[in-house]
Amino acid sequence: MEQIGQDEHRWIMVIDLDRCTGCQACVVACHAENNVPIVGDEEVRNGRAMHWLHIERIWIGEYPNVRAKFMPLMCQQCQKAPCEPVCPVFATYHNAVENVNAQIYNRCIGTRYCANNCPYIARTFNWFDPEFPEPLNEQLNPDVSVRRRGIMEKCTFCIQRIRRGRENAAAEDRELRDGDVQPACAQSCPAGAIKFGDLNNPESEVSRLVHSPRGIRLLEELGTEPSVIYLSGGEAHVG
Amino acid sequence: MSVKAISVVWPETEDPREKLLFDPRPTREMNNMVLDAMTTTSWRYWLVIAVLVVLVLIGIFGAWGYQILQGMGVAGIRRPVYWGVYITNFVFWIGISHSGTFVSAILRVFKAEFRRPFTRAAELMTSFALVVAGMYPLIHLGRTWRFYWMVPYPNQRQLWPNFHSPLEWDMLAIFTYLIGSTLYLYLPLIPDLAMARDYSTGWRGNLYRIMALGWRGTEAEWHHLKTAITIFAFAIIPVMFSVHTIVAWDFGMTMTVGWHSSIFGPYFVVGAIFSGVSAVVTVLLILRKAMRLDYFLRAEHFDALGKIILVFSAAWTYFFFADYLTEWYGGEAVGKELLTLQARGPVAPLWYLMLIFNVAIPLLTLWNKRIRTSVRGMLLITLGINVGMYIERYIIVTGALSRNRLPFNWGAYNPTLIEILISIGSLSTFVLLYALASRVLPLIPVWEVQEGQLSHRLRRIGRQLAPSVSELD
Amino acid sequence: MDDKTVTLVAFFVEIAPVPNTLDLLRQEGIDETDMTVISNMPYSSSILGRPMVWERLPIISLSGAFVGLLIGLFLNVGTPLLYPIRVGGQPLIPIPPSLVLTFELTMMGLIVSTFLGVLWESAFPSHGPRIGNPRISNGQIGVLFECAVDEKDRIVAVLEKQGVHDLEIINREERTL
Repeated sequence: MEQIGQDEHRWIMVIDLDRCTGCQACVVACHAENNVPIVGDEEVRNGRAMHWLHIERIWIGEYPNVRAKFMPLMCQQCQKAPCEPVCPVFATYHNAVENVNAQIYNRCIGTRYCANNCPYIARTFNWFDPEFPEPLNEQLNPDVSVRRRGIMEKCTFCIQRIRRGRENAAAEDRELRDGDVQPACAQSCPAGAIKFGDLNNPESEVSRLVHSPRGIRLLEELGTEPSVIYLSGGEAHVG
Repeated sequence: MSVKAISVVWPETEDPREKLLFDPRPTREMNNMVLDAMTTTSWRYWLVIAVLVVLVLIGIFGAWGYQILQGMGVAGIRRPVYWGVYITNFVFWIGISHSGTFVSAILRVFKAEFRRPFTRAAELMTSFALVVAGMYPLIHLGRTWRFYWMVPYPNQRQLWPNFHSPLEWDMLAIFTYLIGSTLYLYLPLIPDLAMARDYSTGWRGNLYRIMALGWRGTEAEWHHLKTAITIFAFAIIPVMFSVHTIVAWDFGMTMTVGWHSSIFGPYFVVGAIFSGVSAVVTVLLILRKAMRLDYFLRAEHFDALGKIILVFSAAWTYFFFADYLTEWYGGEAVGKELLTLQARGPVAPLWYLMLIFNVAIPLLTLWNKRIRTSVRGMLLITLGINVGMYIERYIIVTGALSRNRLPFNWGAYNPTLIEILISIGSLSTFVLLYALASRVLPLIPVWEVQEGQLSHRLRRIGRQLAPSVSELD
Repeated sequence: MDDKTVTLVAFFVEIAPVPNTLDLLRQEGIDETDMTVISNMPYSSSILGRPMVWERLPIISLSGAFVGLLIGLFLNVGTPLLYPIRVGGQPLIPIPPSLVLTFELTMMGLIVSTFLGVLWESAFPSHGPRIGNPRISNGQIGVLFECAVDEKDRIVAVLEKQGVHDLEIINREERTL
């Protein structure tokens, strides 16, 4: 069953861990862009924080010679995503046009099976109805639906921005150029650690970066084919 | 004691008339025994019913209603343990539902004659356990009010469900099993309903008249019924195996360490029969006392069921150990962490309790006939087994989720009051349904007992009065 | 059957004389299909000395199973073609997972059709008047047969010699056979 426009794009993200300063700007940008609710101290302590993107702090070395490394983690947009086949209602599936792992909020019935089967634990669940207290409600993004309680959600690679980029390019009657599409996290990263682009476009920056010898993919051995590539080990290798 | 007294040992003679099938009673008397047990209710019975109704109201209507209105956050589940007590309860009740089919269908196929008086009591457990089990996927859904999106029917969304998903298999398997086991309960019930119809008046008379469908007992009716029961017995056995296998595949098909195991299917089936048959014994002991069914339910039955439990305890131990050893010897680092968590972590007391209830106690006691036929002993052992099996499911569900391949994503889970109330409410639902049904449906398959008594005779061979069975089919 | 027949039930307290009674009725010219034994527990054809009845139920069950199989195939093979969605790098119509559901729906078809088959074959539910059921429920065995009105007295006399416990004559209007 070939679909029109299949494999048109292959969106990937390259995150340079040697550049990441752990400033959390991407986390804030992600919340703002995708209408991700802020759950409050108590629920965060309960393990219900709803970050689509969060930064893990990893300590390296023994005291007193310790050093922190930061690792932004989000949905790895697997090409063979384990979350997809287990959903009984196709709420999550492989979008064959953009080659991302899509989540249709309104189809979700909340079995949370996908979250259990995600080796990266990248998915978040709406344990309660979201609240956007004043003035947060003023800045809700109209391009992204607000999810109710009982629905699973996760990083979408800002698919609304991908769509807008394509529409803009079509309106100007041109091909999509590298840099036309920037997810909120990449746009807001002051250190320029997050790069986003189309692997099918040989001119794109990410097409160059994927060949870096510093590149790793998280839990690659599971065969999930993640679309997020981490660059790490700059001290030991030349990037 | 003198030496003489020990050296001469007379063979222990057992009176065969202690067995139900060698102790026939007139039909009318037997019918009345069954109907009296059904129509007599003490104030204690109504007290129990009242307490159960309150517990159901609190647990199912109150706690579940509150959860639907507030959101799943009122339960203790949290990242990364997205499944908790609800799924544990689901697996547990599906396990209990294996009681009836095993006792009724497998023992029927193998012509195990001791099954006759209690097949119905066990089949009734199957249907009600499935009703309770079927509530859990709904309780557990984030959007319960959208559960019907899983049902395959042509709809305005133009979207069919995803048949790749083990949950979809699960739903259809449970549906098949619920329909199958309820019809399998109903078919052999028809002649007994007709009997009750002929003995009853008033609302009972009307109810039994409708439910007996106009049964008269002609040759053709019996012939169709017996053929159908045989077809059902053979058909329901693979369905029973498939149901718990698919429940196991809900876990086995994932990438989660501690779940992704090919032994899970048979391991769960064995565990389900183990806990199901134990629950049958628990229920039969209670029924025997509460409804005075001593004539029908005798030491021989608990003796036989005790042997089955002994075999399944050994089988469960074998599967458990095969799974454990594989993980211990060559599993992933997370798998080892899980085993450490079970043996030395916060769930360790539960884990050892499980081994005591499921392995140590049954294997050390049930080889002894005196224990197998003791009421108190069997009640404690079988209740213990079901506690043990519940713990097993709890550790499998929540343990494996709390540890995954990325240590910074580890977490913990503790059930909340809401989850506990719903669990108590569902247990009460089961007991309530069973208690009500026990006063409406004839719990003893009278015609099957009589058929058995017809084919069993005592034959004198030399000095022995030997029990003999004739094949009447 | 014309109007000039009458339905009788002869009651026995035990099974022993029943096969002989059936023989007697045959000798008196009652057709095999005009008599039946009613009882509170099953007695096989060999006990009663009756010809084996061809049972249609297995055919009904197998047909139901086949319908279930077709529904299962439709769900597994048909529905993905109606709205193709890709998941997890798996084929659109994966064979191994399809077997699970096809099996379940086949069994569902088998089970449901067997039950419906019993209802159909036994003409259930029927709520017409019944004869002698309290006696049957008390353990008596009834031999129910139909004979011509003018034959009635002769056959009754024959049966009474056979040790009939009781005899009931049912008017045409109450006939339920």
